[in-house]
Amino acid sequence: MHTYTRNDAAGRGSTRVTKRGAGVGRGLLVGLIPLELLAAVGGMTIPLTALARHLYEGAGFFAQQQAAVLVLSVGLLLSLAVFAMAIWRVLRRVAAWQQSGAMAQANAALWALSATALLVVLPVVLALFLPQHPAP
Amino acid sequence: MITQTSSHVGQKPPAIGRGWRRLVATFLTVSVVVTSCFSVVSLYIAIQIQVVKQTPPYATPASLGAQYRDVTFPSRDDHLQLQGWFIPGVLPTGQLTAQRVIIMVHGNGNNRAEKSSGLLKLSVDLARRGFAVLAYDSRGAGQSPPAARSFGLFEQRDVLGAVDFLRTGPLPYPALGRPRAIAGWGVSLGAATLILAAAQEPAIRAIVSDSAFADILPLLERDIPAQGHIPSLFTPGGLLAAQVLYGVDYYHTAPVAVIASIAPRPILLIQGANDNENHTDTPVTNLFTLAAAARSAPGAHVQTWLVPGATHAQAYHVEGTAYVDQLVAFYTAALGADTSAS
Repeated sequence: MHTYTRNDAAGRGSTRVTKRGAGVGRGLLVGLIPLELLAAVGGMTIPLTALARHLYEGAGFFAQQQAAVLVLSVGLLLSLAVFAMAIWRVLRRVAAWQQSGAMAQANAALWALSATALLVVLPVVLALFLPQHPAP
Repeated sequence: MITQTSSHVGQKPPAIGRGWRRLVATFLTVSVVVTSCFSVVSLYIAIQIQVVKQTPPYATPASLGAQYRDVTFPSRDDHLQLQGWFIPGVLPTGQLTAQRVIIMVHGNGNNRAEKSSGLLKLSVDLARRGFAVLAYDSRGAGQSPPAARSFGLFEQRDVLGAVDFLRTGPLPYPALGRPRAIAGWGVSLGAATLILAAAQEPAIRAIVSDSAFADILPLLERDIPAQGHIPSLFTPGGLLAAQVLYGVDYYHTAPVAVIASIAPRPILLIQGANDNENHTDTPVTNLFTLAAAARSAPGAHVQTWLVPGATHAQAYHVEGTAYVDQLVAFYTAALGADTSAS
């Protein structure tokens, strides 16, 4: 009886750890959705801009420029809209998890969103620290 | 109800979770706003550095008493129809010749008559010394079709188009025959463009580069913040945006990287000793950098001429006839004498 109780307690602890690990994994996955969508839409915009430039090659420089600027602007706005919407939905889900006490999932998602914020601002940070060698 | 209450036992109060959520949301908002502003400014920079106002030539060779004919020829690869003048060389006997042709490449935001460097007058001077001249408007300049300014990357196709035209195109003076030798003269951006083109086209037998830059990147890193009155952190973004929008890779527009492959064809590098005195032009160090790179090739023939008292692209104005004499001696040594009279 005693042995059984110890095994049972160990089993329950192990299950708790596994559930917590699964919760963290799920939270991370959900938290990274906005970044994935941003990368997908933003990543598609660049080859599409090149394609627009190529398609309008014969139409003259200004038509080509308009097409490229239009595709790039729409792509950036679209990726911004998709990103904002995804963030809003993830934050709502995090709130629901917090309400239901699924703190591991909620925290993991919030960490993933924080990492996303860092990655989004990374180009600006890199530009700030990129070594430049301006002519005198 | 009991179950609901027990589920919150041992958890952090919701207020803390809400606070963290708000903190993350704020962080995300700030990062998105900062990066969006950075992107918009970068796009603006890219458009500003690409598009230059085009002005037609202020005069023609006829205004200096020279014969000439208008020509149109396509650039190599992308076939933009470029406008130019073909000025036949005049021998001492008065006979016209097209045996040796100099392709003249103007500078940034200028045209085939470029007043600031004296290109039109120099073209006529060379023609009167027996060299035919092909002077043309680069893409996005003068009367040629609008195009992105790529600081030599795409403009080199125009020089290559000029070479193709001279070798196989419908020349305006058919009686003079095809040129026996082709050489080039370029000023400032035109000189850098000429170096890039000559590095890949052996038909260009000799080049004179007046005030070329060795690498455009340091000049852009200086000029974009200074002329745009913006912090230098936007420069890499602007250059990246130019690559996305126009396909222009400024990180690989460096004549210094290719000039060695011109050897053993002769190169004359000219620059004003007072270039860049206002810190808006090409520092004199560019001449030394280019010369060192050119001389690194086996069999290189490189001459340099640092013109005292001359600012950017002003060597011809300062030296006058001596400048023309120097060019004539250089081209004659490189291309040989004109034999059409014999």
